[in-house]
Amino acid sequence: MAAIAVTDDDLMAFADGQLEGERRESVEQAIAREASLAARVTDIREQNAELRHAFDPWLAEALPPRLVAAAEGRAARGRLLRLWPAYAAAASLALGLAAGWFARDAALERTGVPTTFARQAAITHALYSADQRRPVEVWANEEASLARWLTRRMGTQAHIPDLTALGYTLVGGRLVAGNEKPTGLVMYENADKQRITLQWRLAKDAGAPSGEAAFRYASENGVGVFYWIDDDSAYALSGPLDRAQLLAVARVVYGQLAAPAPPAGGSVPKPPAEPLRPKG
Amino acid sequence: MNDAPLPHAEMLAAIPRMRRYARVLTGDSARADDLVQEALARAWEKRRLWRPGTDLRAWLFTILHNVFVNQRASARREASNVSLDAETEGGSGAWQVPVPSTQFARVELAELLQQVGRLPSEQREVLLLAAVEEMKYEEIAAALSVPVGTVMSRLSRAREKLRRMADERPATLKRVK
Repeated sequence: MAAIAVTDDDLMAFADGQLEGERRESVEQAIAREASLAARVTDIREQNAELRHAFDPWLAEALPPRLVAAAEGRAARGRLLRLWPAYAAAASLALGLAAGWFARDAALERTGVPTTFARQAAITHALYSADQRRPVEVWANEEASLARWLTRRMGTQAHIPDLTALGYTLVGGRLVAGNEKPTGLVMYENADKQRITLQWRLAKDAGAPSGEAAFRYASENGVGVFYWIDDDSAYALSGPLDRAQLLAVARVVYGQLAAPAPPAGGSVPKPPAEPLRPKG
Repeated sequence: MNDAPLPHAEMLAAIPRMRRYARVLTGDSARADDLVQEALARAWEKRRLWRPGTDLRAWLFTILHNVFVNQRASARREASNVSLDAETEGGSGAWQVPVPSTQFARVELAELLQQVGRLPSEQREVLLLAAVEEMKYEEIAAALSVPVGTVMSRLSRAREKLRRMADERPATLKRVK
């Protein structure tokens, strides 16, 4: 066959083993005639071999578990983790809490309060109290509008207890989008930067006898929760306190919710309107 | 329409190759793993688009490439005066030989990896896919959404640059043939 021009692309494709048929034959004939063409093919092949030699050891590295989970379709998008780095620690704490709370379901079944509510309250508390940048959506300096907003969004009158007598000042509040009903959250902080949260939501379907408040307590990983049902709402008070300390706060909260102070004026907390007998 | 799960063994087998590709693209091991995780999650979301019997590796590479290009585009929008390539190609530690071999070969392989790291990312990825993964030019073109001619010209330029860099190596580091 007469000389057919062999291009650089032909040589490269030939060296990479990607030429077929007539073109392959013509390159074979060309490199048989010209030693310089053969040398270029050899160069490319040697370079390929060196590259494989250099890069193949990377394949032997141990697989990170998160990538195995992702390959099996068990993982969330990595992007989420990177967008929310501040939540990572709180989220892992929250997951630990969820696992611990789950085991308590059987023991708490008879309380009349869905245990998922207490569990969610603990998780929500862990998540937002650890958030340095935006623990609440509405800050304490707009307390009146916070109460109006929560009332409108939750469909029940929101009262924000005043806990200054106990050393806790209001940080602010937010609405927590739950699986079922929206949950209101108000957060307080003391001089030691310890944060407690009060969460509540409508619980008409909870099955608690009307007018009876059952106080229940549970704790996990240093976060205690008192929760109860009163009238038409379920409440959960959560914080890194021991049972006695948290109970003292819960009594004040319960008392103020049972007999809310007038919105404007007196900041002196009223004593509980009626004695409270925790049953938990 | 196909809603079957992706083949388990093949997905696991693809991880090392995806990590290698991602590391070649980003020049950064930690970022590479983030990229792989994102690509795997997206593969599960889009699993209906994969046709059983076709090359799973090539499909995953396509997704990985697209995630990388999108992330780089948004990173450039955020910091338009910072070149991501210049930033990541510096001394990020990805271009290392992870498994010890003999002393001489180790130095030489490290040299080669450093040289690949100095290529533009478009040339690096084509070089990896063609020379190391031994994919067909047409497959590479499909994965990167570019014409076959572009694949070949990038590959040719990458090889030429590597050859020039090798010629500049000190004589003692050249391969003994």
